[in-house]
Amino acid sequence: MAGLGAAAAGGAALVVRPGDPLPASFTSLGTGEATIGFHGPRQAGVTTEPPAHAAFVALTLNRGSDRDTLRRMLRLLTDDVARLTRGEPALGDTDAQLAVLPAALTVTFGFGPGLYQAAGLTSPVADLPGFSIDRLQDRWSGGDLLLQICADDALTVTHTQRMLIKDARPFAAVRWVQRGFRRSPGVHAAGFTQRNVFGQLDGTANPKDAAMETAVWAPDGSTTLVVRRIRTEIETWDLLSVADKEAAVGRRMDSGAPLTGTAEHDEPDFTAVDDTGLPVMPDFAHVTRAHMTDPRFKILRRPYNYDEAPDSAGRPDSGLIFASYQADIARQYLPIQRRLAEKDLLNEWTTPIGSAVFAIPPGCSEGGWIGERFLDS
Amino acid sequence: MDRRAVPRLLIALAAMVAVLLPGAPAFAHNALTEATPAKNAELKKAPDGVTLKFLQKLNPDYTVISVSDADKQKVATSDPEIDGATGSVTFDEPLANGVYTVAYQVVSTDGHTVKGSYKFTLDDPSYVAPTSAAPSPAAPSPAATVSRAAPAAVVDAEPASDSGSSSALGWIAGIAVLVFAGLAGFLFIRRRKA
Amino acid sequence: MLTVAPSRRTRSAVVAAVAAAFALSGLAGCANSEAKTDTSSTGTSGTGTSTAANSNASSGTNTGTTSTGTDSAASNTLTVRDPWVKAADTGMTAAFATLVNNTQTDVTIESATSPASPIELHTMAMKDGKMVMEPKQGGFVIKAGATHELAPGGDHLMLMSPSAAVKPGDELAFTLTLAGGGTVAFTAVAKPFAGAQESYDPGMTMPSASAHS
Repeated sequence: MAGLGAAAAGGAALVVRPGDPLPASFTSLGTGEATIGFHGPRQAGVTTEPPAHAAFVALTLNRGSDRDTLRRMLRLLTDDVARLTRGEPALGDTDAQLAVLPAALTVTFGFGPGLYQAAGLTSPVADLPGFSIDRLQDRWSGGDLLLQICADDALTVTHTQRMLIKDARPFAAVRWVQRGFRRSPGVHAAGFTQRNVFGQLDGTANPKDAAMETAVWAPDGSTTLVVRRIRTEIETWDLLSVADKEAAVGRRMDSGAPLTGTAEHDEPDFTAVDDTGLPVMPDFAHVTRAHMTDPRFKILRRPYNYDEAPDSAGRPDSGLIFASYQADIARQYLPIQRRLAEKDLLNEWTTPIGSAVFAIPPGCSEGGWIGERFLDS
Repeated sequence: MDRRAVPRLLIALAAMVAVLLPGAPAFAHNALTEATPAKNAELKKAPDGVTLKFLQKLNPDYTVISVSDADKQKVATSDPEIDGATGSVTFDEPLANGVYTVAYQVVSTDGHTVKGSYKFTLDDPSYVAPTSAAPSPAAPSPAATVSRAAPAAVVDAEPASDSGSSSALGWIAGIAVLVFAGLAGFLFIRRRKA
Repeated sequence: MLTVAPSRRTRSAVVAAVAAAFALSGLAGCANSEAKTDTSSTGTSGTGTSTAANSNASSGTNTGTTSTGTDSAASNTLTVRDPWVKAADTGMTAAFATLVNNTQTDVTIESATSPASPIELHTMAMKDGKMVMEPKQGGFVIKAGATHELAPGGDHLMLMSPSAAVKPGDELAFTLTLAGGGTVAFTAVAKPFAGAQESYDPGMTMPSASAHS
């Protein structure tokens, strides 16, 4: 405890205003003190740069939930999030000192079909249809309310998760929690595409800037989220040569360049053939199957890796918490997912074991709460 | 012919081992065992398509068979039709005389991608080139090219010239081609297994 | 203690003293959980409840406080920050907040009222080697310019017999009456809370426990 106290005091002594240069000795604290604004017409944690750590917390509403309980729950949770994202403890926070380093904390609320049902409203999202590749488990699927907690520090995520679950507990049960990670801040340049546990650069084809606006946001500031837990069969993946892996993905393992290019962001040329007449981008490669050029049909991938304890034989329990944001699941996500389920060599080493869909309602202004636009009417 | 049976047996054994021993994936690579037209075949009659037989069952999703001409232009074919370990495509249009490259890309049961290619030559004496005037449609009797006495050994050689040839010499050459083709097939299979 | 972080939008890792300074100088007024006071209001508990709903600062998630008054000259006497109530299905419960005295003289809270329940001002005291709860004699005194915590395990407002279950997310209106007659109204949100393990139920050494039904 003495150590914790000393650390807290040290952190507290540093008061840096936005724009001020950080003292050299405290430069590393920039990560801990970074904040991302919570309030606004759109929720944070969607198009903001994904921080290193995430917890996806899915809750099942208590039986008999209605607009009144939803309103009370969402007001409580919104207030917690507004405070915690500023680096302040939530009301009644029993570990207040854990709240002072927000580390770019964002919490994004997602509403599952069950929440709309409880409110007596038509859900804008529906469970995905089954796909032949699915091996879904209940323990990773569904959910009435999602809290996507992201921060550049795992302890911040832990504390936030604990606080929000405590305050949600009178209203809902925990259905599943998926914790994931990406590269830590400072490990490589901002905007660098992360690698997944397969070693692939993951997210190269994400829409950017104006294309991202088109792909992600509905005019009212809402969007949708698909969360899929995708187990990676690393034992068999390990047996492949680099060329095999590249044929499955359609990209170079080192640079992430398409097999027809030299740099990560080169557009793949699906018409190119080699000396013998074979397509350079195999038509069963992941990139060939998933590729979309029109931003209206693209999705924003915001995935996290997971890596749980291996079994006694040392076989990993690893994979991807696939998270994609798109304005319209039917228009954008489903066509891609259908194509991949139909044919994608990468399917040989990936298995979807969880699936959930959520509407991401618009953000709220200060003093407001997430969901108020339709639950308060 | 019994010399070919030995490697066949070995192949079959290897395949059985691969199937029975999940812990031995190195055995599980797929390989081409038989092709029609055969590698480096010299055809006098245009084939309807290409049939490739592999060591392992093919996954229709991950099987690519492409045929291209000497100018590396893709020849229009059907999608591959898969029957067990055999994949075939049929040509949309009759082939013109020339050298063709058959290329395939298949995925082994263990996920290894296997690529390969070979050539065959069509020299149909009765063929009439659609654009220019035909050389000599006179002799429709079985005949083979004289100019290519030992084609099997020269995998990548371009056809020198395939103008009309005829007469009894053709028969001798034809037999020679068959012998070479058989030998080549044997060597081919052995090399794939090595 | 860092537990009393200010409600600010800027960097947050500051010591409480800095926070208090902000609050005292009015810089913290941009936050949504600030309350103003009305030391000269003639109204009592009724004013608090009526203004809670329409105050700009109290809409939505605001779990903070609202101004009861119209007397701006005296409105900075006492700030009630971050108030909340422990949710309870049945029986007694308690309300907490951070009280900031914005003046150069001591402020005494003599009593508190709420439409939700009779209220007593309680403190925790050591008696016979045990921490027990008891009414605070003379009320809560907030020293000039000081911050006074109402927190689990310490001073608190005791809801002696809530007329209904205090459900998580409920918002309850309170009015503090200061020595001299001024009142401060605020709204507190009910939170599920199991911390500090104080029992506010009867059976505990507590003089007023009989109020429980």
